[in-house]
Amino acid sequence: MMSAPARSKLRSLGLSATCAEVLTHLWDYLDEQITPTSAERLRAHIATCAQCRRYEEYQECFLRAMSSLKQELNAPHSLRERLAVRLKGQGCGCWDKVSRDL
Amino acid sequence: MPHSPGLSVEESGVTADAGLQGARSASDVARDAAFERDALPWLDDVYRFALSLTREESDADDVVQETFLRAYRSWHTFIPGTDCRRWLFTICRNVFLRSRERQRPTVDLEDGEQDAVAAGSVYAAARERGYDDIYARLDLAPALRDALDELAEPFRSAVILVDVEDLSYESAAEVMGVPIGTVRSRLFRGRRLLQEKLVTVAEDLGFQGAGVP
Repeated sequence: MMSAPARSKLRSLGLSATCAEVLTHLWDYLDEQITPTSAERLRAHIATCAQCRRYEEYQECFLRAMSSLKQELNAPHSLRERLAVRLKGQGCGCWDKVSRDL
Repeated sequence: MPHSPGLSVEESGVTADAGLQGARSASDVARDAAFERDALPWLDDVYRFALSLTREESDADDVVQETFLRAYRSWHTFIPGTDCRRWLFTICRNVFLRSRERQRPTVDLEDGEQDAVAAGSVYAAARERGYDDIYARLDLAPALRDALDELAEPFRSAVILVDVEDLSYESAAEVMGVPIGTVRSRLFRGRRLLQEKLVTVAEDLGFQGAGVP
């Protein structure tokens, strides 16, 4: 059940019922959190609606950028060295595998 | 070795080789092999998650060290074949919360749809001003990192776990100790806030509309 503020906002945007459904559930759709039937309905609409297709591309671009952050940040070498020392102190036999440089 | 005052670290690590002296049992060897195979590959992932929680590299280092030490000591509680990364994220979050002596955040957000619709309004406004293509024109990675730094918990955790670390809603819910619906509402709020910040960044940079209809 959609909240009153969400319904009000959709009315103010002047969208068709299906465009409003895409707007409301696009993230659920992209996250594969809706039923196959609902996903097919949204997919069919997006394929024929330029406005919704642009919005889908906009959100997909955002999610791709978020996902790409994963490649940009790794544990620093200093952390690996300190952790290796701590694990060695615990008797861990694989402490030297924490950092390939050790 | 420096530690954040709030962190409870039982072992100093300076006794070094004590555990390695003498014969190691077959079970010790098997445990260490499993730890190396299942836990150590996730060090970068845990670091990213810790950094998203602490926002300070030195604090993240402490949280990561404590996470892996606890994981090693508690290895007998890890169920082989289950998702070790999720298990480590859960420990990491608990270490962080305990280190800050915080209650688990409780945010009452029932309605992810409201944020989804609001995100659509952000897009519509950007489009009206002719820069709905900001994701193509903006250097997104640094802008996103800055926006994530400013994003409040628990929205940041939800976004990092699902959108950056690619956990399912179910796994993120387990890590955060909340229902799946709460993950969804926090995720949607986080995404909406990030997108609002990115539009603000574009405006601050003086973006001009590429092709106002």
